Amino acid sequence: MSALGGKASGGEGINPTGTVVGIIILLVSIAATYALGFSIVPLIGIIIGGALIGFGVHFVPVGGAPAAMGQAPGIATGVAMLAAGAGLAGLFGGAWAYEATGDFIVAIAGGAVGGGLMMAITCLMVNATYVFAMGIPAASGKVAKDPITGDTFPEYKSQGTEGHGLPFVSFFGGVVGGFIAGLGGTIIYLELFDVYLANLPALMNGATTESIQPLAVSLAGIFAIGFFLVNAVLAAYNITGTIEGPHDPKFKRVPRAVIGCAVASAFCGLISMLIIYNTGM
Amino acid sequence: MTVKMEASAGKLSEKTLMIYGIVVALVGIYLTQINGFTGVAVFSFFGGIGAIAALWWGSDTIKHLCSYGLGTGVPSAGMVAFGAGAIAMIAGTKFNLIIPFVGISLVPIVTLILAALIGAVIGYIANNIINMNIPVMIFSLTKLSIVGALTMLGFGAMCTGTFSFNGLVTGGLSLQMEPAAQAAANGAQMFTVTVIPEFAGSLIGGATLAVIFFLGAMALQHPFNACLGPNEQQDRTLMLALEVGFLSMIVVAVMSYAFLDIVSATIGLIVALIGWIYTYKQYIALSKRDAYEWLDAKPIKEVGGDQ
Repeated sequence: MSALGGKASGGEGINPTGTVVGIIILLVSIAATYALGFSIVPLIGIIIGGALIGFGVHFVPVGGAPAAMGQAPGIATGVAMLAAGAGLAGLFGGAWAYEATGDFIVAIAGGAVGGGLMMAITCLMVNATYVFAMGIPAASGKVAKDPITGDTFPEYKSQGTEGHGLPFVSFFGGVVGGFIAGLGGTIIYLELFDVYLANLPALMNGATTESIQPLAVSLAGIFAIGFFLVNAVLAAYNITGTIEGPHDPKFKRVPRAVIGCAVASAFCGLISMLIIYNTGM
Repeated sequence: MTVKMEASAGKLSEKTLMIYGIVVALVGIYLTQINGFTGVAVFSFFGGIGAIAALWWGSDTIKHLCSYGLGTGVPSAGMVAFGAGAIAMIAGTKFNLIIPFVGISLVPIVTLILAALIGAVIGYIANNIINMNIPVMIFSLTKLSIVGALTMLGFGAMCTGTFSFNGLVTGGLSLQMEPAAQAAANGAQMFTVTVIPEFAGSLIGGATLAVIFFLGAMALQHPFNACLGPNEQQDRTLMLALEVGFLSMIVVAVMSYAFLDIVSATIGLIVALIGWIYTYKQYIALSKRDAYEWLDAKPIKEVGGDQ
């Protein structure tokens, strides 16, 4: 916990043994899904979605408790809350778009725009609060110059802080992160929704496709929330709680999170497929 | 910003807590099965008791995990526990096989095993792929996933009186009648009656499970998040876990009015209220014991005159 300053232990670099074991778990999950007689295409979609969530979280400027005190840049809350907010906003957008159009591409685009919009509004209001309520300018502590606008930071940075506020590059990262995470969450939701809608009526006596629809929506939605939180927290562990955005040196750790989230999504995806496994009960 | 988080040693060891937690949670969830034998739903509230036992154990596990400084805050551990637990719980309810001779269902056991598997995989990923290198990571996340799954299963069983997949997804049955044939002699009409299950009014179909998800996640992460610090005492943290557990149970009991008969739901509500009032008083007493000084707050005094 950043506010409590426990030793952050996440080191740099990739652990080769762990990664190989992880990829084996991923392949075994795919093989097990195939062996149980399910199509592996939805599982591949879930894995891609999970990896996108893990990737997207790294763009979001998460400040944690120090940001709430104006001592570090970023949005003043934790990854789990931010990712849940952006991801669920995207998910609802995508689910609604799928209901209205029935088109996969339009739906995932709707999810991505929903997530990005949510983060854009959050970043805007956070910066308004920082600038007009707390009276602090936006200044990053990790880089001297904004990579996009070229604004310089050191002369605005208060002494004894790691920077404060939300510079443009962090704002940009937040929108991109929300966009990618919303995209990933919506892909997971749609894959699960299609699988449940197609397979549940055969398992439930007397159910039709129309009557099963609310159940498929709820099941896919709850599973998507579960996947989202698991992947977001794994990504949060990777950045040890705080990151400024794509310009932060911690961003270089992103491959680990992508591999980790892909493996976690593959295994959780296998378990979530068990719902349509006919246990005869 | 360098307050050290330490897990207080406490009287109850981790192992004792784990055994009590798992046993009471499983027994509580299994006791709801009496509903099926007797045909009345008054035993549903045992599911809530089981869920509280799991939360009570989980709040101690979170303490040991978070004392290593994850960098992400205590709530994230609660969220990952319930994210993994939700997947395990819904998948586990599919295995409603009754063990012969014993007469009990396999669901809680399968849920526990699935949750342990998911937790172990996520723990391995966090520890070895993400390189957290925390010694208790794998085992802690395994335990937390079990806590998440058993809590949701317990509250779900309390809400609906059953923990089978079909029971959790079927809200009610409606009959559809179609005229089939005209009996010739006396002109009587015959109908084909089809039973159509309704899914939208159920615990999972109505997404009420999402409420249980967050009620449980908040109850799991709150006790240690509120009590952490240099003077953290195990009995006080555990008492707070019971208190927020009963608080969540009150909400679940209110939700159960939608699924159970009035008597059963009221019994659940009364049990939850009594438990909450008792544990709240105990928690305040323990807080007074641990506080340096207890000052009752008074309204700010108005200063008279020009000031």
